[in-house]
Amino acid sequence: MRVLKLALLAGLSALAIGWGVAASTPYWFAPKQDRKVDIADPELIARGEYLARAGDCVACHTAPGGAPYAGGLGLQTPLGTIYATNITPDPETGIGSYDYGDFERAVRKGLRPDGVHLYPAMAFASYQVVSDADIEAMYAYFMSAVKPVAKQNQPTTIPWPASLRWPLAWWQLLFAQPRDFEAPQSDDPLVARGAYLVEGLAHCGACHTPRGLAYEEKALKDDGSGRFLSGSVLEGWYAKNLRNEDTGLVTWTEEELVTFLRTGRNKRTAAFGSMSDVVEHSLQYLGDDDLTAIARYLKSLPPRPGREQWKPKEDVTTAALRDGDFSAPGAMTYIEHCTACHRLDGKGAPEVYPALAGNSMVFADDPSSLIQVTLAGGRMPSTLGHSMAFTMPGFAHLSNADLAELMTFIRNGWGNHASAVTEADIARMRKEIAHKPVHYAPEAAQ
Amino acid sequence: MRKSFLIAGVALIAMAGSAAGWVATRAVPDAPPAASFAVLDAEKNEIGRYVVPADKDIFAQPNADEIIYGKRLLADTARLLPDNVGAAMNCNSCHLLDGKIDAANGYINTVNFYPRVMPRAGKEVDLETRINGCFQRSMNGRPLDREGREMKAMIAYMEWLRQGVAKEHRVDIVNAGPVDESLIPDPDNGKVIYAHKCAACHGVNGEGMRDQFGDIIFPPLWGDESFNIGAGLARTYKAAQFVKWAMPPAMQLDGQLGQGGVLTDQEAIDVSEYFTHMPRPDFAPKVNDWPNGNKPKDARY
Ligand code: HEC
Ligand code: HEC
Ligand code: HEC
Ligand code: HEC
Ligand code: HEC
Repeated sequence: MRVLKLALLAGLSALAIGWGVAASTPYWFAPKQDRKVDIADPELIARGEYLARAGDCVACHTAPGGAPYAGGLGLQTPLGTIYATNITPDPETGIGSYDYGDFERAVRKGLRPDGVHLYPAMAFASYQVVSDADIEAMYAYFMSAVKPVAKQNQPTTIPWPASLRWPLAWWQLLFAQPRDFEAPQSDDPLVARGAYLVEGLAHCGACHTPRGLAYEEKALKDDGSGRFLSGSVLEGWYAKNLRNEDTGLVTWTEEELVTFLRTGRNKRTAAFGSMSDVVEHSLQYLGDDDLTAIARYLKSLPPRPGREQWKPKEDVTTAALRDGDFSAPGAMTYIEHCTACHRLDGKGAPEVYPALAGNSMVFADDPSSLIQVTLAGGRMPSTLGHSMAFTMPGFAHLSNADLAELMTFIRNGWGNHASAVTEADIARMRKEIAHKPVHYAPEAAQ
Repeated sequence: MRKSFLIAGVALIAMAGSAAGWVATRAVPDAPPAASFAVLDAEKNEIGRYVVPADKDIFAQPNADEIIYGKRLLADTARLLPDNVGAAMNCNSCHLLDGKIDAANGYINTVNFYPRVMPRAGKEVDLETRINGCFQRSMNGRPLDREGREMKAMIAYMEWLRQGVAKEHRVDIVNAGPVDESLIPDPDNGKVIYAHKCAACHGVNGEGMRDQFGDIIFPPLWGDESFNIGAGLARTYKAAQFVKWAMPPAMQLDGQLGQGGVLTDQEAIDVSEYFTHMPRPDFAPKVNDWPNGNKPKDARY
């Protein structure tokens, strides 16, 4: 009995200390900055608009079909749904009453003016490295140029006690320590600019860096571990490895990368899933210099040992299919359902149908995207650069056995080489798609 | 003490057992049952269902090689039969996906339709003649030998696709969907639509697109390599039926090619008037068409 009492006491006091520390972080961990910003300065506002685009604030803070920045989009977590908030300058329901310090703390430190800690669903761990000047410009833009919308925020659906927010302070202490941007060593100023955007506003790592058990990104910058941007699965899409290595981007040229970021497609590939949204809402609006900077930085990320190169094997598929030899497992299913668009040579049609041959998303380590796009289909982003955006129809009507054979065929056809896909993989993805939250489906709501 | 261990053990085994049972009875998600079309008798009563066969099924046929050859000829006509094809087109250019799609000139009922009397010819035509009609008009080329291996292979494919539906029965699909033929075409608007909704694939000048081998990816819509004015598709409303229901592909998340569903009747008619009336090859034997009158209003001659 005594032991139990003691344990209870110890537990309670640990909890109390934990809470106490958490409640005090606004004062020492994330103190509020005091600064005057001329929010009427048109130049500052224009720059802020551009930066807000780069930060893709609109993607999360806008519900499908809703007013820009008025919030309401649900972000699914294992514990429940977190709704992005209204960040229009409406004083009652939005951030109209924020001063600069409030804004800076929310965006870079994940702290609301009332001392409440934000979930890491908001990308503050990345935005931390954004410069003061850039935060000021965004503040001016949000306060002066965004249309105020009166719309109440929706509470999260996370049940008590998981819904208590103070433990988030500990998450922030552990995984989002304040840090300043450190430019990577390079003679090329564009590489530094690219790193600044990729690590910071463009938060590529939020999707492309693997996450740990506590939802923390395993690296927030290229720290020598090779984990930064090494690929991660979210909502069944594999946001692929972006390092300059085998299944990453070593087969891409800088130009191909820039074209992809600006238009969501190039001769080889096309964006789908959440990447389609990123291009549509954010990247297509960035200047050529910034896109080149991002591409150059990604191409400068050193490969992990043994992964410097990707060499295609000999292409025997094209000749076989052109000669009418459809005997390879999966070949006939490919001929029946895919050749009309992706063609016998697996090269598709430039800027219309992506290639499957030599396409790094096809032979990626993790076949999730390949499976999901084939089952559910996908849409290219609409961009200013192209009058038409194309859609791949879904093939959920094919059996698991046929699809597994087909995926394996594609992953190893035309010189591609990658692991086989099994029926269980297909079944798993069907489950995942069936349980997708309907309210977080921006790709279907376009 | 022992007893509680025993109880715990039994409980554990029971739990593991029921968990295993639960896992085993949970169905592995797989494809939904295949979509099917009604099979109708002469009085339009449903007498069965037709499921579009998977191409893999061809391997199980006694004449698999012949069917596959036929299938390839339909899909890759220009490459495999250069002497008979004058246009940069394949049969699949208009008979989408080997004739397996509803409202996109399917071949599912074709074998059962022939021989029949056609108003354009003014007499009974058989399937070989009908196919050769498409060679001479739609493909702006030369007829195949009626008894040749190629003709037989194409028909073997169509015969397989019929899946044994009896001659007097019909699978409930249409060759082409409806458009409102009372609408007046506006070719100027058609030109605008073409630029926005077609040119990305068929080319700014209707020239289409070819692959690394020179094979056709997107067929041309006018010019020397397009179908001639004797083709059904040279007629505004017939073209509009195809364009509305089968073009453009890659627009929808469902449908085998994600095709159609983009243009209104008026838009389909406008754009069809525009591209059908661009320059294209003539068809000399046109003088023999419609010998008994009844020429449709959109005939080109
Ligand atoms: C990946 C999605 C995502 C992106 C991108 C994102 N946010 Fe957020 N943001 C959220 C979510 C979710 C919340 C609410 C978190 C919570 O309730 O704990 C939030 C909260 C906020 C808040 C706090 C508002 C309040 O008072 O409740 C501000 C301010 C904010 N975001 C600004 C921005 C800005 C500025 C950008 C662009 C630079 C941005 N966000 C980009 C998801 C996002
Ligand atoms: C909201 C999540 C998200 C963000 C943020 C994001 N990506 Fe992606 N990205 C994805 C997903 C999912 C895919 C896989 C789908 C695809 O290949 O189009 C992907 C794919 C890619 C691809 C490969 C495309 C292909 O088809 O091979 C590149 C290159 C890429 N992203 C670059 C970037 C860059 C650079 C950034 C930052 C500027 C970024 N992404 C930010 C989710 C994201
Ligand atoms: C109607 C034309 C069409 C057909 C048929 C088709 N696709 Fe696609 N496919 C597309 C389009 C368009 C995209 C680009 C989609 C996007 O970016 O969201 C695409 C994208 C893909 C991708 C992603 C490649 C990338 O880099 O973006 C894969 C993989 C793929 N298709 C596989 C298949 C398979 C397997 C089949 C046959 C079962 C098939 N496709 C049938 C048109 C088609
Ligand atoms: C330019 C488009 C086009 C091309 C190319 C084309 N066809 Fe046709 N075909 C049509 C149209 C349109 C019809 C329907 C005509 C009608 O209803 O009068 C048709 C009808 C047919 C029919 C009769 C179908 C039925 O059920 O009544 C057959 C058989 C046929 N085509 C075979 C072929 C073959 C074989 C080729 C290749 C050698 C070919 N077609 C190429 C447009 C085309
Ligand atoms: C995404 C690319 C794409 C777009 C956009 C597109 N088509 Fe097509 N079109 C095709 C393909 C591919 C074929 C041939 C079918 C095949 O080979 O599977 C075709 C065939 C045709 C044909 C029959 C063959 C021929 O050359 O005469 C016509 C007519 C046609 N398209 C008209 C149109 C019109 C009109 C539009 C605009 C409303 C359009 N298409 C938009 C890809 C496209």
